[in-house]
Amino acid sequence: MGKIEIIIAIVLAVGILRRIKHRTIKDTGVHGKFKKPLSPLQKKFYTIWVFFIINMRRLFRDRLALFFTFLFPLIFLFVFGSLSHTSSISLSVAIINKSHSIYARQFINQASKLKTLKIDKNVTNFSTANGLMGRGELDATIELPASFGANKQGLPSGLAIVHYTENNVQAAQTLVSILQAEFQSINTKLVRTPTPFTVVSKETNERSLSTFDYTFTGLLGFAILGAGIFGPMNVFPELKKMGILRRLHTTPLRVWQYFLANMLGNAVTGLMSIAVMFVVAILVFNLKVVGNYFELALFLAFGIAMILGIGLALGGWAKNERQAAPLGNIIVFPMMFLSGVFFPRYLMPEWLQGVTTYMPLTPVIDGARLIATEGKSLLDLGPQLGVMAVWLVLVYAIAFKVFRWE
Amino acid sequence: MSKYILTVENLRKKYGDKEVVKGISFAVKKGEIFGILGPNGAGKTTTLEMIETLRPIDGGRASIDGVDVAKNPYEIRGMIGVQPQTPGFQDKTKLSELIQLFSAAYGERVDPKTFLDEVNLGDRADSYVENLSGGQKQRFSIVAALVHNPKVFFLDEPTTGLDPQARRNLWELVEEVRKRGISVIMTTHYMDEAEVLCDRIAIMDDGNIIALDTPQKLIKDLLSRGFTKKQHVEQANLEDVFIDLTGKAGLKE
Repeated sequence: MGKIEIIIAIVLAVGILRRIKHRTIKDTGVHGKFKKPLSPLQKKFYTIWVFFIINMRRLFRDRLALFFTFLFPLIFLFVFGSLSHTSSISLSVAIINKSHSIYARQFINQASKLKTLKIDKNVTNFSTANGLMGRGELDATIELPASFGANKQGLPSGLAIVHYTENNVQAAQTLVSILQAEFQSINTKLVRTPTPFTVVSKETNERSLSTFDYTFTGLLGFAILGAGIFGPMNVFPELKKMGILRRLHTTPLRVWQYFLANMLGNAVTGLMSIAVMFVVAILVFNLKVVGNYFELALFLAFGIAMILGIGLALGGWAKNERQAAPLGNIIVFPMMFLSGVFFPRYLMPEWLQGVTTYMPLTPVIDGARLIATEGKSLLDLGPQLGVMAVWLVLVYAIAFKVFRWE
Repeated sequence: MSKYILTVENLRKKYGDKEVVKGISFAVKKGEIFGILGPNGAGKTTTLEMIETLRPIDGGRASIDGVDVAKNPYEIRGMIGVQPQTPGFQDKTKLSELIQLFSAAYGERVDPKTFLDEVNLGDRADSYVENLSGGQKQRFSIVAALVHNPKVFFLDEPTTGLDPQARRNLWELVEEVRKRGISVIMTTHYMDEAEVLCDRIAIMDDGNIIALDTPQKLIKDLLSRGFTKKQHVEQANLEDVFIDLTGKAGLKE
């Protein structure tokens, strides 16, 4: 999706939102004249529709709710996005130069042009360097001894020493090979020797997943958790406290109608918030979406509805906020840390990966990544959809059972 | 056709070991304003909530217009309007939208304007509930409970916390509701309110109905039992002074 398409989509979305905001509810004529009476079944769904529309309007009047729905996930996206975006290897090193030769100065010049090295120019002696390495702020220190650049058999020569701590073995090895490659190219310029075997690196056209792909779909999961669980968990006890649910209880409104209206609202706002995240990810963090947007939206709507069931069960059950919060945290935190929200699951030990596959949020995050960045279709997502369907049935069965109007 | 809209027979409710409603029976006539009085904890609210289908009935039965409350709760909910003790409405929602919301809960489509006009809130159709005064809120709450044209209207202590003007407005409204042919059942702690409004009252104490008749008859009975009170007849009381000084009761605000 190019940037022009995104701009067109934004214009369309704003247009639709303005319509929702200003249009009166369909079929509600002036002075009680209506087009035609509704059948009993139509009435049931008319009820859901009105609850959905009016609650949507209410959301857009509530600045705090808007912040938590749209901006809050974006803040996380910017923070985690910029962390994982600078993902190319970069070593922070210090250079301690004891040589006065022109070659030492040229070497430092050359090294500071390398993208893979971040040279801390403030460090000039070993005691500061060792201190910084001990705290992990420096990966390694390059020492150029006084003899660096001295003439030997008519040619300049030198030995660079890489200092590292026991925790930075890998960084030191990487640094050594970087320096070796550098010296190699200098050497061939100085000494014209044939080089029969060489190696060059070449990027393949095969798409691979970047850290950001994992970060981004994890943050989608975070947004879904926020809207689906924290939302109802806070709102329902509040509605109970104000006697709003109690009042609705005196009407023939059914729990399933109320749930469906909530589900519809949550799916729409959730998808809007996720759409905003996609736009930012594409424009700012160069996310490449290869999958089908329609399938992705369908899949995410299903995921949102399922996760919302957990929130409805919690908020519907709790008599007040104090009851909802502890149980909510017990349920949400494991999902945040084990389902791949903040760190990818592939970093976990295998047994833990096996267990966490069956947590409710895991298939949502995995599925979103498989569609968005790997171009899979819904048909390929049997395992994910299966786990989600089981959870959907389970959480809504619980939600209906424990729901209390007051 | 029965002249009674609501009949209650031997109604009981237990919370744990404690029986809070101990087998009460009464009937409310069509078009009547029926008051339930009694000290706190007498079982008034529990009785109302059982009839309103909000609490399960532990014993006995209640029926509205021939429909059994325990057996057909959803049908009953479509026949009754309920004004709870503290009217709560969601914030950041316009009055017109709330009317639509409530009528939608009954599966009905109504024109909010006509309903709001009835209680002089037509010009506040685009306001949010949180910006209404206490009296306006009460009026709105009543009209929101009537969007589906119920047969019986329940009010639980409707005037608690209202100023004298708002109370009198509310009395007028309740009279209007009755004029539409809707039977009204209300609880109250104010005896003057019961005397002015209610055609008949039931007095509850400790889960039982200990008296049931018209206010006039109950007073006459008491006097005939030889009750006397130090007579101190004045042509006005403090409330008359208050109303006179602060403005007539009327749907002003």
